[in-house]
Amino acid sequence: MPEPVKDLDKLDEQLKAVVQALQGAVKQGIPHVKEPQVVDKAIADCKEILDEIIAGNVKEWLN
Amino acid sequence: MFSDKIELKDFDKMDPEYKELLGHVLTIQADCEIGGPHLYVEKMLPAAPTKLDQLIVARTAAEEIDHFRKVARVAGDIGVDVSFLLSQPNEKRFVETFRGLITTWEDNAVFGFLIDRVGRYQLEEFYDCSYLPMQRILPDIVTEELGHIEYGYNKTVELIESGDEGKAKAQKAVDYWYIRALDMFGRTGSKRSERYRYWGLKRRSNEQARQDYMNEVNPILKKIGLTVPDANQGRHFV
Repeated sequence: MPEPVKDLDKLDEQLKAVVQALQGAVKQGIPHVKEPQVVDKAIADCKEILDEIIAGNVKEWLN
Repeated sequence: MFSDKIELKDFDKMDPEYKELLGHVLTIQADCEIGGPHLYVEKMLPAAPTKLDQLIVARTAAEEIDHFRKVARVAGDIGVDVSFLLSQPNEKRFVETFRGLITTWEDNAVFGFLIDRVGRYQLEEFYDCSYLPMQRILPDIVTEELGHIEYGYNKTVELIESGDEGKAKAQKAVDYWYIRALDMFGRTGSKRSERYRYWGLKRRSNEQARQDYMNEVNPILKKIGLTVPDANQGRHFV
């Protein structure tokens, strides 16, 4: 068997958690698109999560 | 032609060329998956025309991140670390299409319509491929890509139907992305592409996949009232 890369499981779990959090925020927002308070909060949550992903501080996530 | 089916446990026994090609194609696939969100999230999440569109931008990004995760797992299991792609600046992406930033809604719509469709073609290359762990992650990824393509198509049609100004914007975006889409298939007569096919890692030559794409897309563009751009103008890979 080949040697898997270091921290592969950690990265996988981290990304899985990010995806679940994003999907959760989207699911909260979609039924309430006409309720500014709820939908704006959902969009803000998505932005916060995505900003972290785009920043790409992988070492930080894995620690 | 190589016709065996390979599991992770067989990987060490494989020819070095097979290992190199598999690692390379997985790295590029991972780069394209994570390259999308890096291209459109920054400007399109706040600027999408409706709250629902904003949420769909976020959902699309979530799905692409998950595709990256799945490809990264397949690559990581064979010792190929693609995590560096998560912090790669856009200008260093493997595929030119992902070097830059999407700043207009029409570009975002056409990107889904045309570029995610190339993504589907790239993934379809792995159908029945020799590396089974890659084959197994495909169905869910392709289903989600189909959703991105449909959304991009619907948003493009909305723009066209909004009037002359919207149609002109859609055409301008198609003129830009169509050429990039064709380039994404790579060079005609590529030796590397031939080796991918020899090892059962891809099904079609670059030119055949590109032609199939044009055969699919050109009639759609005509049907929605747009002009098919000149396929030979501005191309980098012919």
